[in-house]
Amino acid sequence: MNRRKFIKIAGIGGIGISFPACLDHLFTPAYSAEPDLAVASGSSAKAITKAAVDALGGMKSFISKGDIVVVKPNMAWDRLPEQAANTNPHVVAEIVRLCIEAGAKKVRVFDRTVNDPRRCYIQSGIKEAVEEAGGTAEYVDERRFKNVKINGVAIKEWPLYTEILEADKVINVPILKHHGLAKVTMSMKNWMGIMGSDRSRIHQKLDQSLVDVSSFVKPSLTVLDAVRVLAANGPQGGDLSDVKTVNAVIAGRDQVAVDSYGAALFGVNGSEIGYVRLAAEQGHGVMELEKLNIRKISL
Amino acid sequence: MQNLRRASQGIFLLIFLFLFIQTESKGADELGYPVKFFLDFDPLIFITTLLSSHSVQKAFYLSVIVIIITLLLGRVFCGWACPLGTLNNITGSFSKRRRNAPSVNWNRAKYYILIFLLASSLFTMQLTGIVDPISLLIRSLSVSIYPLFNLSIASAFDSAYNSGPKGIVEITEPIYAVLKNNLLAFAQPYFLQSAFIGAIFLFILGLNLYEKRFWCRHLCPLGALLGILSRYSLLRREVSEGCNECGACASVCQGGAHPDTRGKWMPSECLYCRNCDDICPQKAVFFGFGKKENVLGTDLRRRHVIASAMGGVMVVPLLRTAPLSMPVNLSPQLIRPPGSLEEREFLKRCVKCGECMKVCITNGLQPSFLEAGLEGIWSPMLVPRIGYCEFRCTLCGQVCPTGAIKKLSQNEKASVKIGLAVIDKSRCLPHAHATPCIVCEEVCPTPKKAVWFEKAEVRGRGGELITLQQPRVDISLCIGCGICETKCPVQGMPAIYVINAGESRSEYNRLLL
Repeated sequence: MNRRKFIKIAGIGGIGISFPACLDHLFTPAYSAEPDLAVASGSSAKAITKAAVDALGGMKSFISKGDIVVVKPNMAWDRLPEQAANTNPHVVAEIVRLCIEAGAKKVRVFDRTVNDPRRCYIQSGIKEAVEEAGGTAEYVDERRFKNVKINGVAIKEWPLYTEILEADKVINVPILKHHGLAKVTMSMKNWMGIMGSDRSRIHQKLDQSLVDVSSFVKPSLTVLDAVRVLAANGPQGGDLSDVKTVNAVIAGRDQVAVDSYGAALFGVNGSEIGYVRLAAEQGHGVMELEKLNIRKISL
Repeated sequence: MQNLRRASQGIFLLIFLFLFIQTESKGADELGYPVKFFLDFDPLIFITTLLSSHSVQKAFYLSVIVIIITLLLGRVFCGWACPLGTLNNITGSFSKRRRNAPSVNWNRAKYYILIFLLASSLFTMQLTGIVDPISLLIRSLSVSIYPLFNLSIASAFDSAYNSGPKGIVEITEPIYAVLKNNLLAFAQPYFLQSAFIGAIFLFILGLNLYEKRFWCRHLCPLGALLGILSRYSLLRREVSEGCNECGACASVCQGGAHPDTRGKWMPSECLYCRNCDDICPQKAVFFGFGKKENVLGTDLRRRHVIASAMGGVMVVPLLRTAPLSMPVNLSPQLIRPPGSLEEREFLKRCVKCGECMKVCITNGLQPSFLEAGLEGIWSPMLVPRIGYCEFRCTLCGQVCPTGAIKKLSQNEKASVKIGLAVIDKSRCLPHAHATPCIVCEEVCPTPKKAVWFEKAEVRGRGGELITLQQPRVDISLCIGCGICETKCPVQGMPAIYVINAGESRSEYNRLLL
C-alpha cells in the first residue's frame, strides 16, 4: 500500500481529510496486512520494480533519510543485458532511484565479478544505469575485504566487503537463473559477490555456505529480477535461445521466501533447492509458499 | 632551435606515453585511441615485415611519411620525435661528461645490424622487433617499467592505507583515486622475464652515461635506415668561410656527425638537432635546401657488410634446425592469442612489441622465452594460470601492428580455438576426492558449455554412497580460453589446464577429424 492508495481508500471512508497526510503510516496496518511477497509483472522493468516495492509499503519503509545504502546486483559476467546473466540494469537503476527518492545519502552498487570487472560493469549496462540514477558503481577494491566472524555451520570466518558491513541498509537485487550445482541461483547465492579470498572453495559445501553468508548479511529488502530468465547453461549463458522472457519482479523482506517463490517460477519446488531448504530448516525464513501472504500485481 | 626541438621531443614523448597508458581496456569492446600509432609510423618494421611475410598492414603506409620526411629533412625523426631517442637524451643529460664527442668509433655497427635484419627478413625470419626502437620501448615499458612504476606507487598508497597515521587516508586515497583513473594500471601487471627485459632496457639507457645517445649513434637499426636515407636528404648543413674550426659544435653534436671538420660532416649520423647552429660563435653554420656540398658517406667496410648479410642469411637455418621447428608439437604450452596466424606465418610478422601483452585484460598474455624457439623470443603466449582469454574481448587483435594476430569480430572469436582444456583426474576434487566442485563448469563461457557433468556414484572411505557431478570436457566445444585453469581451486598445479592441441590456426595441430 502506498500513500496515494491510502489516501484514496481513506477518502472513500470519509476520514482521510481529517488527518494530516504525515500520520497516514499510523493507520496503514489497520487496513491490510502487508504482504510477505510482492510479485509484479508487466512489460516495463522499471514500472514493475517500483510496483513491487510499493506493494511492500514503498521504499520509505525500508530506507531512512541519510542512509548509506548498498544495492547488490549480480553483475559477475561479461554479458549483455539480453543474455540475462546479470541483473537487469533497469531493475537495478530503479531501486537506486527509489532509494535516493526515499532520502538515501549515498547508494553504492558493486559486485566482485568473475570475469574482468571493467567488462562486467560496462557490458552489463549496470554501471551506466546506476550512475544515471544517481548511485555510484565503483569497482571492488581488494584491500577493503575484512575478515568477519560469521559463525555459520560451514563457514566460521570469511573476508567480506567492508561496504556491506558499514552500510546502514542493504538491498539485494539478484537475477533468477540456472546454475549447474545449485540448480537455480537467486538472492542467497548473490552474496558470493561480497566474499573475498578464494571463494570458489565454498562450492564444496555450497548450500550450507550460502545459508551462512546470507543469514549473516540480512538484507532489508530483496528484489529478484525475473524479467529475463536464463533457463539453461547458467550462470552465464550466452545463447539467447536459453533466455525466457517472464517480465516479473519479486520483492520481499524474507530472502528465503523470495528464493522459494523464484524456484517455483523456475519450475522447481523451493524444498528441492538445497540452500532454500536448509535456510528454512535453520529458521532463517519461510519457504512454504502457502504460508506466505503473496500480493500479485500486474501492470 | 634547441627549445623548439625540446618542445617537439616532449610533445611526441607525451603523446607516446598517453597512447601507451590508453592501451588498456575500459570495459568497452574497443579502446577508442589509435594506440599502435608509433608502430604504424615505423618504416623499419614496415620494410622488414614486407620482406619476411610479403604482406603489409594498411596502417604501415603511414611510415612512408617518415621516409619522405627523412628524404626532405634528414634524420629529424631521431632528433625531434623518436620517444626512445628522447629518453636517451634525458638520461644523457645526467651524464657528467661535458662533451658529446664519440668515445668509441662504433657508429657503423648499426648499419651492420640493419643489414643483418634485412637479410634475415628477406629469408623469412623477422627478428627486427628485438632491436627496433619502438618495439623495444613499448615492450620494455609494458612488461617491466610500467609494472614497476605501478607497484611502487600502489605500494606507497597501500602502506598509507594500511598502516599510515590516522587521518592520512583522507588525503592519500583521493589522490590515489585520481592516479588510478588516469595513470596507473587497473590491476597490478605481472610479467614473466620482467626483470630481464627491464635490465636490457635500463642498460641501453645507462649507455648514455658512457656516451650520450650511444644507442642512437651506434646501435639503432631504425636510425641506420633513416641515416642511409638522410644521405640523400634535401636539407643540408653548410658551413661558411667564417668557421675557424673552434670545435664548439663537436661538443654539442648529438649524433657524433663530425660537424667540426670541414668536409667531414656526415648527414647519415646527423640528428638534425641544430645544436651546432645554435652554439656556433661565428654564426657560420646554416641549414638550407638544395645547395650541394660534398658530404661524407658511411664508409662501411665491404667485408663487414658481407659478413652481416651472410650472418642474417645463416641465422635463418641456424634457428630453424632446432627441434621446435619439426612438424611435431613440442611446446604444448605455447598457446597463442586468438586470431594468431599459423605459427610460421605468425613468427614472420610478430615484432614482439608487447602491445598485446599490455592490452590483455587478464594479464594472461606473457612474453615467451624459448617456448617458440629463439626466433620467437618475447612473442606472446597465454599463460592461463596467470590469466585467461576473456571470451568477449578482442583487444589483442586490435592492437597488433603487423597482423600476426588478426583482428577478430566477437562472433569470429567465439569459434576460434586456441587450445583445449584437459582434466587431471588425479587432482580434480570430484574425480579424485569425491568432493563437489563445479568451478570449471560454472565459468566455462561457451554458450553451450564445453565443460559438462557426468553424474557419478562413488563410495566414500566408510563405504557410504556419494552422488556427485564429475566434470568432463567436450572437445568439440572447448576453445581453450583457459578460464577453467585460472579459476580452478586446486592451487599450484591445476586440476584442469590448457594445452594448445586442436588450435584452429594450425593445419597440423588438430585433434578431431
